[in-house]
Amino acid sequence: MIVETKKILIDSKLKCASGEALESFELMTDFYGELNEKKDNAVLVCHAFSGSHHAAGKRDGNIGWWDEFIGPDKTIDTDRFFVISVNNLGSCFGSSGPLSKDKNGERFNSNFPQLEVIDWVESQKMLADKLGIKKWHLVIGGSLGGMQSLQWAVSYPKMVRKVGILAAAAKTSSQNIALNEVEREVIRKDSDFHEGKYLEFNKSPVKGLKAARMLGHITYLSAKNMDLRFGRKLQNTNSKIAEDVDFEIENYLQYKGGKFAESFDANSYILLTKVMDKFDIAHGYDDSLEAALENITAEVLVVSFTSDWMFPTSNGKKICLASIKANKKCSYIELEGEHGHDSFLYPNEYYQIAIKNFIESK
Amino acid sequence: MKSDFKRIIEKWIPQNTKVLDLGCGDGGLLKHLKDSKNVNGFGIEIDISKANECLRRNIPVMQCDIDEGIKEFNDLDFDITIMANSIQCLKNPNLALQNILNISNKCIVTLPNFAHWSCRLDLFFGKMPVTKNLPVPWYETKNIHLCTIKDFEELCNNLDLYVVEKLYLNNNFKESTLTKLFPNLFAAEGVYLIERN
Repeated sequence: MIVETKKILIDSKLKCASGEALESFELMTDFYGELNEKKDNAVLVCHAFSGSHHAAGKRDGNIGWWDEFIGPDKTIDTDRFFVISVNNLGSCFGSSGPLSKDKNGERFNSNFPQLEVIDWVESQKMLADKLGIKKWHLVIGGSLGGMQSLQWAVSYPKMVRKVGILAAAAKTSSQNIALNEVEREVIRKDSDFHEGKYLEFNKSPVKGLKAARMLGHITYLSAKNMDLRFGRKLQNTNSKIAEDVDFEIENYLQYKGGKFAESFDANSYILLTKVMDKFDIAHGYDDSLEAALENITAEVLVVSFTSDWMFPTSNGKKICLASIKANKKCSYIELEGEHGHDSFLYPNEYYQIAIKNFIESK
Repeated sequence: MKSDFKRIIEKWIPQNTKVLDLGCGDGGLLKHLKDSKNVNGFGIEIDISKANECLRRNIPVMQCDIDEGIKEFNDLDFDITIMANSIQCLKNPNLALQNILNISNKCIVTLPNFAHWSCRLDLFFGKMPVTKNLPVPWYETKNIHLCTIKDFEELCNNLDLYVVEKLYLNNNFKESTLTKLFPNLFAAEGVYLIERN
């Protein structure tokens, strides 16, 4: 499989939905496979909230977040398809975001324009134009990446042949927003946050970021999965992360949260959770999901997981029913998924066959 | 055999219509109707392997329980609904029938006749029927509400549903003099086109 990682400069203005604008921006992008001559085999893979462009292959000891799905003969066969994975604007893995500098050479920090999912789509549309891709064979993603895929199909109906919406929703719920706000508050109240200007003080609100992620992480797992994996097992004394940890689950969250806080940027965390909160595809369509989906020409596949309590299956069903009502070609697959909301990341025979059949059917 | 069945259903389904197939299996019937009648088909199927087959055939499918699905489809607008050999698997066939006619004006129902002579014979010898179109033993069958042709027509009558057309088929999916004369004894399968009165 041909793999390339490039930081691509888009030297045009991006007008954001908020009214703010970026004069130019960079997108860290992974490419897997080869674009064919007709340029009709391109697949856009959209990462979730804290993901990155690194979707497949091993790099610096890390395996891509959808490695089991992307590659030769895999779910998305890179011998046939040219897969593009972009680190979203506002994130912190190389694309323009709070860590980048503005035109005056000053770091954005918390002043990076507040983005919406539609801005990501606009930025990627500009990337597609630059690459000469007129139509995606498929745009697919899970969670926030699924919302982004849906937005693509709505914003640029003629550019999307098929769209895969995995473990996602047409809008975030009040509960989603509430949990995100707790996570943000924990970061903001870290004494090292300095109103988002922590880097100027050579600090980082790692304590807050860690706690935020710990809460977030719980929402990505299912109660059943946690019980199976950790139950009420006590933590072995020798491998305790912190002294006051008793149970394995506590230790696990401490470890995962800590690791995350080392590699993620707090301003990005706040910005990206707000992107999620803002998402409501029917906004601007009199709150009618059916009206929002009216212009879609893509074939749609929605996959929901019964163990997902962040975006319960009713969300996926709603998208499918509204699509059918709007006379769209839409399929809905419901799987238990052992991993709660995160199930979309994990290989599963039926799940992968569903996606593969959907992608390859004519 | 199955193709005869497809031909019958095909006859009742006009060109370019929007068709809902409840319990669509691997999407074979909808694919056939798409190719022959340019039907805009949509299936409901609970079995994931079969639903995945639908995806392979590019037939849109919602993987869910029919009992549940029908409720959610209430305000959707289909021209015709097909329920081939699945009414006997539902929790409330009577409610389902009424709900289906909220989704579409017309409905095609096919069902195995539990009063077919082969079933009667099995029962006569004290055994639950295992026949050509009821091949699964009682402890494994999904058929929880089996009925006879007489029962079903009585239900339609009670629910004030109008049977526009009906066919009584033998085990080879053919009409015969016997199935026409004594359907409840000789028809293995009843095929109905139903509307609201």
